[in-house]
Amino acid sequence: MNLLLQVVFAGLSVGAVYALVAVGFGVVANGTGAVNFAQGEYVMVGGVVAGVVHEVWHPPLPVSVLCAVAAGVVAGLVTELAVSRFSGARSAEIITIATIGLAVALKAAVLLLTDRKTYGLPHFLGERPLRVGGAVADTQTLWNLAVVFVVAVGLSLFFRRTRQGTILRAAADDPEVVTSLGVPFHSVARWVFVIAAVLGALGGAGLAPLSVMSYESGTLLGLKGFAAAMLGGLGNLYGAVIGGLVIGLVEAAVAGYGSAAYGDAVAFVILLIILFTRPTGLFSQRKVVRV
Amino acid sequence: MTRRLRWRLTTPIALTITAALAAGCSAGADAGADAGAEDSAAIKIGTLYSVTGPAANVGDKMRKGTELAVEQINQRGGIDGRKIEWKFYDPAGDTSTAVTQTRKLLTDDKVDAIVGGGSSSGIALAMGQLTASAKKLFVATEGARAIVQPETEHPLTFKATFNDTVVMQKIIEFWKAKGVTNVALLPDTSGFGQSALEVAEKELPAAGLKLAVASFDPGTGDFTPLLTKLGAGKPQAYLAWTTDSSGVTFLKNARTVVTDGAALIQHSFGFVDDRYMKQAGDAGVGTVLSSPKLPVADLLPDSDPQKKTIGEFAAAYEAKYHEQPNVYAGQAYDALMLAAEAIGKAKSTDGPLAAKALETLGEHVGVTGVFRYSAQDHSGLGTDGVEMIKWDGERFVLAG
Repeated sequence: MNLLLQVVFAGLSVGAVYALVAVGFGVVANGTGAVNFAQGEYVMVGGVVAGVVHEVWHPPLPVSVLCAVAAGVVAGLVTELAVSRFSGARSAEIITIATIGLAVALKAAVLLLTDRKTYGLPHFLGERPLRVGGAVADTQTLWNLAVVFVVAVGLSLFFRRTRQGTILRAAADDPEVVTSLGVPFHSVARWVFVIAAVLGALGGAGLAPLSVMSYESGTLLGLKGFAAAMLGGLGNLYGAVIGGLVIGLVEAAVAGYGSAAYGDAVAFVILLIILFTRPTGLFSQRKVVRV
Repeated sequence: MTRRLRWRLTTPIALTITAALAAGCSAGADAGADAGAEDSAAIKIGTLYSVTGPAANVGDKMRKGTELAVEQINQRGGIDGRKIEWKFYDPAGDTSTAVTQTRKLLTDDKVDAIVGGGSSSGIALAMGQLTASAKKLFVATEGARAIVQPETEHPLTFKATFNDTVVMQKIIEFWKAKGVTNVALLPDTSGFGQSALEVAEKELPAAGLKLAVASFDPGTGDFTPLLTKLGAGKPQAYLAWTTDSSGVTFLKNARTVVTDGAALIQHSFGFVDDRYMKQAGDAGVGTVLSSPKLPVADLLPDSDPQKKTIGEFAAAYEAKYHEQPNVYAGQAYDALMLAAEAIGKAKSTDGPLAAKALETLGEHVGVTGVFRYSAQDHSGLGTDGVEMIKWDGERFVLAG
């Protein structure tokens, strides 16, 4: 067995999911300036919903995944309702705090609805792993990586080339001006939260075949995804992808060459280092939101 | 403007607090579970299980197990004609909450004994200090040896669970019978995993087994680097020691990375859950686990002393809760039965007298095992209660 290659495969496998979460953080930061701490819970919701649908109705896999995406849309709309309609929150700080509350509420809701059960999914591209150069690569990893790159390119085009995308970017820069030009704030918030939640839910559905999902699967993923987003520069989509993959790779390297007992510490040590030395992230010049 | 700003600020904060309360509210709801009217002659038993929070899965089963035992005892007339009045609280996995609730049980509710240590070894350890200074009998349902060891320092504390030393002993016997001499252990970084690691590092070399170790964090998403690293030493068995759902990922990864088809893929008694096995799919088939006898009770020979007890317990549990009991429900059921039997034998709720009665009970055939408490052993279970079992894709069978 080739340990180095195995470490790379494992790192990309986990890193792809961190990357999707990190991109979600970036989208919300771009649209509202806030840090969305419910981002990890979207992954959990997507994974659990896909798993429940699969277990109860046994539909073809794409149907389960579509249900996860639909759940993501709902979760995004709920987030927008909670943070901007009901509370009238406009400032980034208040939205950030509201998302912490929403994250707890989502987790509690899923706990009660699923009775704390765990859920899984079959692999999307077949259970048989690929053997490359003395190491094993899971086909699910390829799927997750493909999703990450499609999402990053697609979103980047959306934000730069479309009218709606431009509005969202402008809203992040100066919400007052955008509002005065006739774009209601909740419309911006609705767009970004739905996009972010769908990304998370896709990540969750893609993760379910690799591990199992339950009401508590989201929190740690959210924090690691946040570390990835900060590493790449909050709001920088390609930075987020690279940040996610880097954290996944470092974790896998620590597990392979050191001890996996410190695996969880990796993301947070990286987060601390980046906050101390380069709070704008490796690839970003944007201003930082303090939380 | 100020008022409006304050309104904007308070709403999300209120939302946060509401959500937190929602998460913890089942605690309040369950606290009302204490049975029946105030009766001065009733024997009051207090219980803490975390039916919410990280150990919720375990706590829920434990609560049902103990509740069933209370109901059965009261149905047949109580202990010496005195009904059990049961007080239940949910610490939600939080030790400081548990300490407050234990104080409340001891001083406000004035319970005679406590059964169940919050579904977490850390909580049970903290509770043991309080029950000891109140001189009350405490029967824990948690795993850590330190809850009762050394027995001289915990004269009134017992537990209804296997020591990991006993389970490890059984696994070593199994390995020797299979001719396994070289093993890899993957404990998680929780107290459960690290305690097993401590035992393994002492017992395995003494038994002539070669041991390689790789600890992992609960929630680990990919075990392939660990397994590749361990695979270099060509172990004949890979034993994971965790209760975390990432154990499913371990099974899936082990099937792809471990090239030696004859190598045993094993889990400890913390992972005996058919749901987890099913989620591992084909990768779960053939997994060997060490377990109390409950999951394979119907396959045991009729001569097995526990077969009847387990069968009756499982039937009553399924009738009441419409689900299969698991080992956690079993040990919580045993813990209350043991406490009741001790109080009945001592004819007193006095802590030291009840403890003495437990130590001299002789044999108590329970769901988890045959308990033989003594002044030197407050866990009371030997390797005869542990069975090596295997997942055959449909259910657990004897691994032989």
